Amino acid sequence: MQNDKAITVSQITKKFGAVTAVDGIDFEVPRGEFFGFLGPNGAGKTTLIRMLTTILKPTSGQAIVSGFDVAKDPGEVRKHIGVVPQASTSDLDLTGRENMDLYGRFYGIKAAERRERIKNLLDTVGLAQRADDLVATYSGGMRRRLEIARVLVHSPALLFLDEPTIGLDPQSRRVVWDFLRKLTEKASMTIFLTTHYMDEAESLCGRVAIIDTGKIIALGSPAELKANIPGNDIITLAVGKAAPQDVAGAVEKLPFVHKIKPEEGGEIRVYVDNGPKDLPALIDAARAVGGEITSASVHEQSLEDVFIHYTGKSIREEEAKKVSFFIGAGLPQRLGR
Amino acid sequence: MMIKLLAVIERDLKKFRRNPIVLAMSILMPIIYLVILGNSFQGKLTDLPVALVNQDTGPFAKRLVENLMAIQAGPRTFRLVDLTDQQKAVNGVRAGLYKAALIIPEDFSKRMTVAGRPDLGLFLDNTDSISADNIRSLILAAAASLGVDYVPIREVTNQPLLRDINLYPKVDYYQSLVPGVVIMAIFLGTLTTGAFNLVMDRFLGIDESYLLTPLTKADIVSGLIISGLGITLMNAGLVFAVSLLITGIPISRGLLNFVPLFIIVALTTLCLLSLMFAILGRIKHPRIVGVLSGFLNVILFFPSGSVYPIASFPGWLKGFAAINPEAYAVDALKSVLFKGAGMTGVMGDLMFLVLFTAVMMTLSILTFKRTL
Repeated sequence: MQNDKAITVSQITKKFGAVTAVDGIDFEVPRGEFFGFLGPNGAGKTTLIRMLTTILKPTSGQAIVSGFDVAKDPGEVRKHIGVVPQASTSDLDLTGRENMDLYGRFYGIKAAERRERIKNLLDTVGLAQRADDLVATYSGGMRRRLEIARVLVHSPALLFLDEPTIGLDPQSRRVVWDFLRKLTEKASMTIFLTTHYMDEAESLCGRVAIIDTGKIIALGSPAELKANIPGNDIITLAVGKAAPQDVAGAVEKLPFVHKIKPEEGGEIRVYVDNGPKDLPALIDAARAVGGEITSASVHEQSLEDVFIHYTGKSIREEEAKKVSFFIGAGLPQRLGR
Repeated sequence: MMIKLLAVIERDLKKFRRNPIVLAMSILMPIIYLVILGNSFQGKLTDLPVALVNQDTGPFAKRLVENLMAIQAGPRTFRLVDLTDQQKAVNGVRAGLYKAALIIPEDFSKRMTVAGRPDLGLFLDNTDSISADNIRSLILAAAASLGVDYVPIREVTNQPLLRDINLYPKVDYYQSLVPGVVIMAIFLGTLTTGAFNLVMDRFLGIDESYLLTPLTKADIVSGLIISGLGITLMNAGLVFAVSLLITGIPISRGLLNFVPLFIIVALTTLCLLSLMFAILGRIKHPRIVGVLSGFLNVILFFPSGSVYPIASFPGWLKGFAAINPEAYAVDALKSVLFKGAGMTGVMGDLMFLVLFTAVMMTLSILTFKRTL
């Protein structure tokens, strides 16, 4: 089935008892796109990804993934996609190479082809030296890299990654980012990623959907999303010598300035289109009226601001882990909404 | 198709091989059970302390004490402690110093010769009923011969004589436990392989990654059952061989009946594996398996007839034994091992095991979820 859409989702909903984890979501992802789902913990990202990858049945609605309906043809969907779940899923009692080899066999790849591909992938993710050690001896970053390499053994055209850099140190995150970027650029893979890191969504994704309490509240490229909210970047100027109001009057006339707000201690906040680019012109204008800028800081509008704009809360608010009282032992209930 | 199934099997075997303690334990444990069970039920009672207060100086009291001394010297069931104070003896029984106190009253010999019933006082610690019964019957026997003046040389001809003819080679209690111990080894094997892998994968959260691959329900269930069958058969085989050696059942008897024995063991393994799949199919925490294992072991093993005959059970327990697969497995193993029955002799047992396996397998495929 030829289709230029890798994923088409319409009105998909998942309810766990009285809780609606995913609430009637619609979106499409064209082939070759790097698409991100951004939202706080508990927003419904993992539930959505589990429905799209056939391991959770939607309560209602439809999802076509790689040309197949996830509810009616889950087997076909599984053959065509690769998924890196949020939790670490490597088999600790097996070596890195054995983990990958088993996966290759689950997809029915022949031995010679498997060996070659696994060798290359282990090289690419920098695990060639440790390939024959038990995964139990790997660090968190190594396990994550192994899981990303493992999911590529069968060369899927569509890749799902659920919070791929959660719990990784900044250096490991960079490695993962670079690797993912290469996949979309060189292998023209479609990637569907969920994250609650603003910088991750901003630097990787072509388009981002912001999800909160099971609903999409904004969808577009990071630039579009930022442009859509009022205010834009903020430059804070500390003004010496001349009276701040003179400087403010001069600055206000500039075309890229949206709003000015005097602060205490002679500082003024200037809302502009593009902070780093507009700063020199702003300083020139202040000097022209005899003002002296003693310091300047630029706060660039981020997806965080977009999120706050739409939801009125910060994305970093963590939700307490859910514990199953039946099972006990502090085991997080793995509904993972 | 095959490549996927083989991968599931190989994964399980590899993981098992990397955990040699599990292997060692699952072979050692049933053998230790055999030694402990064999020695905790069948043992003879010896050296039970019995207080003796003899207040009679007559001939019959002397003969009674001689008879009791003979028991003390021979089977050594009890050890006599001579006391003079009756009250002290009874208090000793109460305090747990003696299992019983035997009082021979001063008119005992007189009553034996002159008319009148001779009495003996026996104070028993009846909280330990097995010891109490033993002591009671031995003292009764020692006293019974007192009144008999001669032992008849000729048999009494008008009494029917029972001649015992043993149909099978003698089986002592220790040997009779072997089938039960082999079944126990199978039980432990099936508990820690097969469906247990699902529970562990779920607990560790790695089931998600397997469910995301094109593996089918059949690949997963049959792969785990095949690897569980392999591992358990190996365990059970080793336990079987070692048990034969320990109990002195000729190995040749095991080898001669290799085919029926193998079929019984393999079928029992499949039966219990499918039972575990049906029970553990949706369990997510190994602690639940831990709790269940002790419970299942007791409710399947003790009513299986491997320790005590099923005929002694009350009706409701007999009913349970009738649907207990371990009871059929024990019966089949006993028939082959001790009675030399061939395949035809155990066909009924095998049929039940096949039926039970089929039902449990259907149940487990129905309950096993291919989603989270």
